[in-house]
Amino acid sequence: MPSVLSIQNISKSYGPIQALKGVSFDVPEGSVFGVLGPNGSGKTTLLGIILDVLVANGGTYSWFGGMQPNEARKRIGSLLETPNFYHYLSAFDNLEITAAIRESGLGDRTRVLQQVGLYERRDSKFQTFSLGMKQRLAIGAARLGGPKVLVLDEPTNGLDPAGIAEIRELIRAMNKAGITIIIASHLLDEIEKVCTHVAILKKGDLLLQGPVNEVLRSEDQVEVRAADMAALEQAMQQMPGVKKVRLTEGTLQLTCDDNVTTMQVNQYCISKGITLSHLLLKKKSLETKFMELTV
Amino acid sequence: MKLLSIEWLKIKRYRTFWVLAGLFLLLLPLWNYEVASGFIKLGGKGGVNFLSTAYSFPQVWGNMGFWGSIFIMFISILVIILTTNEYTFRTNRQNVIDGWDRMQFFHAKVMLVVLLSVAATVYLFILGMVFGSGYSGSFSGLFSEIQQVGYFFILSLNYLGFGLFLAIWIRKSGLAIGLFLLYSLIIENIVKGTINHYSDMPVGNLMPLQASDELLPFPLMQMAKSILGGESTISMTTYALVATGWCAVYYFGARAILLRNDW
Repeated sequence: MPSVLSIQNISKSYGPIQALKGVSFDVPEGSVFGVLGPNGSGKTTLLGIILDVLVANGGTYSWFGGMQPNEARKRIGSLLETPNFYHYLSAFDNLEITAAIRESGLGDRTRVLQQVGLYERRDSKFQTFSLGMKQRLAIGAARLGGPKVLVLDEPTNGLDPAGIAEIRELIRAMNKAGITIIIASHLLDEIEKVCTHVAILKKGDLLLQGPVNEVLRSEDQVEVRAADMAALEQAMQQMPGVKKVRLTEGTLQLTCDDNVTTMQVNQYCISKGITLSHLLLKKKSLETKFMELTV
Repeated sequence: MKLLSIEWLKIKRYRTFWVLAGLFLLLLPLWNYEVASGFIKLGGKGGVNFLSTAYSFPQVWGNMGFWGSIFIMFISILVIILTTNEYTFRTNRQNVIDGWDRMQFFHAKVMLVVLLSVAATVYLFILGMVFGSGYSGSFSGLFSEIQQVGYFFILSLNYLGFGLFLAIWIRKSGLAIGLFLLYSLIIENIVKGTINHYSDMPVGNLMPLQASDELLPFPLMQMAKSILGGESTISMTTYALVATGWCAVYYFGARAILLRNDW
């Protein structure tokens, strides 16, 4: 799969604070790529850099295999933190400026305003809009001229549940239409529901990246106890399918392959002559995994 | 041209722009008319008037140019507002996100400054023609001081360019306007006076805005200088070149700020 965006070793510091420490990844064409991380992990900084509003201290990025960055941006629809428009101009006049800069033709304005349900308010000044309407106008502006990529930064921030669902539907629909979507969020749920790929940031470090079902696979854990803990630990380390054994508070925590069942663990222990006094399957939620990764 | 047409979209429905520009267009001729008629004067009623009422050719250029040099400050403030608006609304970032590079954003504003300077100069020329022909009753002597119209263009470019530079540097509307007024009315005079006091040549006159102010001095200054015999030691050509040089400094200074900083 060709990549629409390739990031190489991007670093950025604000004075003594390192916001990004050599982050690299590729965004495959047609994916919904989630940039996940807690607040302050560098997500917004990263998006700012690839859209040229922030200056990186090191590293490079390239859009569409090396297109002129500003030409590339005309093919990218973006929604960064707040909707930015001229307060004293109407929705229609604001989109005229956007369309002129994007060189996308004026005819599209009516279409996108209808899509985001603001056509009736096209002649109202931006400053009279509610937060939700401003957000919708920004989404409309991002869709002017039919972009190939959509960059969204915390798109559901401040929206009510209906608005959140609406955004999710929009992302799905646009992705189905062949648009690659890059979305930054601290909401794991949001990423899990819509993303195909994910990159996890923590304090400027890239922790993990790849297809979402690989990176965020929930691993089950099995807890076991026996009278002779030392023998048990030794046995467990030899059992096929067990990836990790950890002793905490008198209990062994086993991280196993997906196909390992508690029954197999029990049988294996019996075959080794160990009788278990405690056997428990613990489902590990994505939330726990995320916390483990990022905290 | 494309940049300028987008810049036009930004201001064509902006009331502040039309009010300030309209007042400039209205008040400049009104003020000059009042001065020429002796309604506005410096000095007691019936006594000496220190304002020049000479509005026939060629004095009209120097007179009109001097008042224009004060009125142009409102256009500078307008440039500051238009530029800091972009930072307030964060549309500077949006323009870049939408597909301009940073220099296109900058050059759109530079072109606006040049266009406003040209427009102000053309307007001053037209006003000068109207006043000059009215008070002279003929067009004789029209061209003898016509270079002063050119000086007014340099002065406009210098003032508006300085405003643009401040706006890009400071980013905050109120602070930028405050500093602009403080600098142009007070700070520069303090520095200029101090420098001139301690040097043989009036090199303090070469300060950014002062260099162009020297091109269009207070009308009776010329007369006073010729009476007292105090010849200016720095030529008009030098002032014109230095003022143009400052414009280049604003340009490259603002450019460096824009390329270096985060938006």
